[in-house]
Amino acid sequence: MGMETQTNAPVSGEILDEIIEKHREKPGMLLTTLEEAQEKNPLKYLPGETLSEISKKLKVPYAQVYSVATFYSFFNLKPQGKHSIVVCRGTACHTKGSKALLDDIGKILGIKHTGDDAESSYTTPDNLFTIRTVSCFGQCAQSPVVAIDNVIYSNMNSRKLLKILSNYTLSL
Amino acid sequence: MKPSEIEILRKQHRERILPATPMILVGMGTCGIGNGAGAVYHHFEKQLSENNIDCKLKRTGCFGFCAEEPMVMLYQPGRPMLVYSKVDERDVKRIMDNLQKNKLYKNKLLCRIDEWDFLTSEVEFGKGYEDIPHWDEVPFFKGQKKVVLRHAGLIDPEDILDYIAVGGYNALVKAIMGYKPAEVVDQVMASKLRGRGGAGFPTGVKWSIMQKQDARQKYIICNADEGDPGAYMNRNEIESDPHMLLEGMMIGAYAMGASEGIAYVRAEYPLAVKRLRTAIEQAEQLGLLGENILGTGFSFKMDIVEGAGAFVCGEETALIASIEGKAGRPLPRPPYPASKGLYGKPTNINNVETWCNVPVIIEKGAEWFTTMGTERSPGTKVFSLVGKVKNTGLVELPLGSKLEQFVFNIGEGTGTSKRVKAVQTGGPSGGCIPLEFFSTPVDYESLAGIGAIMGSGGMVVMDQDNCMVDVARYFLEFNAGESCGKCTPCREGTAQALAILTRITQGQGTFADLAVLELLSGVIKDSSLCALGQTAPNPILTTLKYFRHEYEEHIREKRCHAGTCESLFMALCENSCPLHMNIPGYIELIKEDRVEEAFELTLRDNPLPGTIGRICHFHCQMRCRREMLDQPVSQGEIHRYLADTMYQLGKENEIYNKLVKERLPATGKRIAIVGAGPAGLTAAFYLVRLGHDITVYEALSEAGGVARFGIPNYRLPKDVLRKEVRLIKKLGVKFRFNRRLGDNLSLAELKNEFDTIYLAIGAWKDIDLKIPGEDAKGVFAGTKILEEIALGKIPKVGERVVIVGGGNVAIDTARSLLRLGKDVTIVYRRGKGDMPANAVEISESEEEMINYRFLASPSGIITGKSGRVKALRVEKMSPGSIDSSGRKKPVPTGVFEEIPCDTVVLAVGERVDSGCLAENNMELTRDGRIVIDPFTFQTSDPQIYAGGDAVSGPSTAAEAMGMAKKAAAAMDRALTGENRFYLLSRPFNYRDVVPANPKPASKNVPRRLSVKDRVNNFNEISFGFTGEQARNEVERCLRCDVKH
Repeated sequence: MGMETQTNAPVSGEILDEIIEKHREKPGMLLTTLEEAQEKNPLKYLPGETLSEISKKLKVPYAQVYSVATFYSFFNLKPQGKHSIVVCRGTACHTKGSKALLDDIGKILGIKHTGDDAESSYTTPDNLFTIRTVSCFGQCAQSPVVAIDNVIYSNMNSRKLLKILSNYTLSL
Repeated sequence: MKPSEIEILRKQHRERILPATPMILVGMGTCGIGNGAGAVYHHFEKQLSENNIDCKLKRTGCFGFCAEEPMVMLYQPGRPMLVYSKVDERDVKRIMDNLQKNKLYKNKLLCRIDEWDFLTSEVEFGKGYEDIPHWDEVPFFKGQKKVVLRHAGLIDPEDILDYIAVGGYNALVKAIMGYKPAEVVDQVMASKLRGRGGAGFPTGVKWSIMQKQDARQKYIICNADEGDPGAYMNRNEIESDPHMLLEGMMIGAYAMGASEGIAYVRAEYPLAVKRLRTAIEQAEQLGLLGENILGTGFSFKMDIVEGAGAFVCGEETALIASIEGKAGRPLPRPPYPASKGLYGKPTNINNVETWCNVPVIIEKGAEWFTTMGTERSPGTKVFSLVGKVKNTGLVELPLGSKLEQFVFNIGEGTGTSKRVKAVQTGGPSGGCIPLEFFSTPVDYESLAGIGAIMGSGGMVVMDQDNCMVDVARYFLEFNAGESCGKCTPCREGTAQALAILTRITQGQGTFADLAVLELLSGVIKDSSLCALGQTAPNPILTTLKYFRHEYEEHIREKRCHAGTCESLFMALCENSCPLHMNIPGYIELIKEDRVEEAFELTLRDNPLPGTIGRICHFHCQMRCRREMLDQPVSQGEIHRYLADTMYQLGKENEIYNKLVKERLPATGKRIAIVGAGPAGLTAAFYLVRLGHDITVYEALSEAGGVARFGIPNYRLPKDVLRKEVRLIKKLGVKFRFNRRLGDNLSLAELKNEFDTIYLAIGAWKDIDLKIPGEDAKGVFAGTKILEEIALGKIPKVGERVVIVGGGNVAIDTARSLLRLGKDVTIVYRRGKGDMPANAVEISESEEEMINYRFLASPSGIITGKSGRVKALRVEKMSPGSIDSSGRKKPVPTGVFEEIPCDTVVLAVGERVDSGCLAENNMELTRDGRIVIDPFTFQTSDPQIYAGGDAVSGPSTAAEAMGMAKKAAAAMDRALTGENRFYLLSRPFNYRDVVPANPKPASKNVPRRLSVKDRVNNFNEISFGFTGEQARNEVERCLRCDVKH
């Protein structure tokens, strides 16, 4: 375990062992292990090395680990930006205009939003922001909802969004 | 722990629910916290510690009225519980101050709670505060039956002692001490409880199958993977009352012989996971989970597994695969989980809410449970009422309650001026139900009968600004993305359906696409492996069934009327304008100081720019994006300025001559237009430029229709309209006045003489009130009075006039008679906010001191000895619940009043005078309007077209003109076989510059005559924009038409 560069920062073997032992033989062990391993990674993703370590230690075929890591949208196989912006694209939020909000974020951060994927996740080139969507936060009564760095903002509109994001972009 | 100890604990901790000191309860569910409840709690903490007040502070779950978060309850010993809504820091201080002074803080008070039935116990708070509504009198809560949500918002979800104090775990004791496992299953069977996840399978039957399985290891699972976007009932159930879920599962485990239980909670619910984990720990500490529970030898332990963002894992076999550490791909059934489930062992999976009903069924008995709901579906269900509805939140009603109760009674409609269009139920597996079907009861079967499903209980209300094609596409996008990919019909089918829908929203759809969509939907439904695929086509099928016209508009007109599909319109203002005026275009040209070109562009889109700029309803403003910054741009006022300026400078003639020169070569076709109102004039304007020979027949003596004979001079000076009509004459249109269809003009002769006929006869026949005394002397029709005044005559009315009605005709008549020196009162049966008239008209009339009597419904006209009107008898009305128009229904009170007057004017609406048309066997609606094909504008007689109020009923001038413009294009296409309408426009080149940093700037307001300067004459009230104002106003436009 030497000096790893920022873009390639797997979780240390010791931490990984801790996580695995905590969940061993419990139902859902692989899922929970992957979730925690991702959380412990400073860039909030699962590098190939981590997947391979987990496969070895849990004695689960790498293909299965990879299958789970790619099947569930929660798992990131690429490093995430410093700040996360999650726009809810649930029905109530969509009805109240969350697509326009998503487009606005793209414009503000200078991202070319191509295509209409519901599960798109973009990281700005300077690694400052990752924008992704979620199908529903469960806060439908106060739609549209946007979460920035896990703080949920409700009843959002373009004006409020501008204000909140300008705090982040100013602190460059 | 012994069973008797629970009873002791309950008595001991009763004071947590009914303490001897005051107590503050702060709602801390995810919605509450998302709206600032955390800060509110913190402020209370500070207040309590700083001021040393003897008052408890408790965190609770969510009471259900999410739109009103943060919610705070104030408990005072012996008094009703007070519920405050939308509480902020200031309220916290004031609540505490008032509490210390023993006063009542009335601001933000929502309701009071005198007593509460926790079902496992009852609590009485106290009597008093009678002038504050009781919680079940508040529209949102009225009619709700809190069974599953019985504790939510009233107990601390993170303390098991609160749960025990209200009677929790009593049912567990009852079950494992008093019943054999099979007997518990019988109780659940007798209750006829059905799965609350959506499929509605009888829970008792499921349990019975599991119970009979002979195996050493059995599992039970709670499906908390609530993936339906728009549904969050399960989240609240776990966050507000996790022990209720645990108790249900414990009883189930006992009944079915399971030793291990797993709650699969989606990862997007971190607070629910946290609270459930805490609850499990606390239950373990008390010996309610683990080995030898309550000394009975029954052992049961609980684990939590978090999902990782796959909607398909809500399907039971996929969920099991997920727990087993595989990708969540469904398996064929049989074998069912009850025989071969998790790790190959018998497994019973139920939804969160299903488990939550179990303790209540055991406690109160199966028979009690069946007294609620319907025969086939007893009990209650929690629904999430969200979207374009005023009161959003979680609603628990007995199954079988009607949709309208949800949307209009509990939700109180949209809460804005927009109309409800549909309700989407059941999430991505569900369907869109249009307004006409809102009397359908909500349960498993009834909704399925109209093509939708109840699903997990999500209800998303949609209004007129939602595009149903977009909704279908949105759900397909979701379903296609969440498809596990295993079976071809779902994987390929949803992808293809999505591609087709996407093309339709981009204006590239064809009618063949609709046929393919239907076929494809059928195949996907019939052959997919699991319910995700089997229900994925439902949004398509229901929208095609109930909103097919929207698909047709997207395909045929290449327009999205709701203004959602961005490829199909230039800008929201342009899209909302019935004439689709290129508003950004003329605004930009003014910015560039090219006023004449701006006028020309306007004129090509709208032949009456000065007129419409004065009288329009301004549909453009209703969607203007600028409103998010400050106020909408005054687009109509701007094109009025353009027209006025050009007319003042006499420059309009150059543009007119240009249009005359551009006339296409004569086609040799002759068209007759009947009616010279806005619709007729517009049709004439376009058709004559297309080269046809046009003759307009008009019943009155001048052109203009309602604009000339209905709208008073102070809103629209006659000269403006006359000038604009002159252009139409200049283009070569022939007018024949004083020719009335049915009198001295017949359809037969027109059919003979002309190739095509356009009927734009408007809606001029007054609707009768059908009250006694209507034929007395001194009773007039509003439209007739306006017509007389427009002809320069003084109507022979008395001195004290009462006008019945709330639309523009009523107000125009009132303000006109006021100017003739009469004493005027307007009587309207609804409230002020519900008047259909223009807001500006209402406010100006109030400035002019016109009297109003609202909520007064006319019941009879009283006459004097001479047979002349003496008074109007009205019944006072009170505002009732919201009806389908989104307004409060007036409810008769039985209290009458007589308003003395000598004249009564009726202005309660107009109908089409279609007597002459019926003779010609033209197809009409029940109320006499002409039926046309929505795309070709043809009537049942292919030689005759129609438009304007004659088709729509009384509407706006702009809408009439919009219909006529489209009809002109359709008629020309039919006559020549070509699409030539585009030849009437020409390209205008202007910059596409989006304002970089728009700063708030309120809209410019034109100068108006003061009340004293206008109230005794008919001079025009508004001066329109000055040049400076116009130039400032155009700068406010955000040019949202510019696309990257």
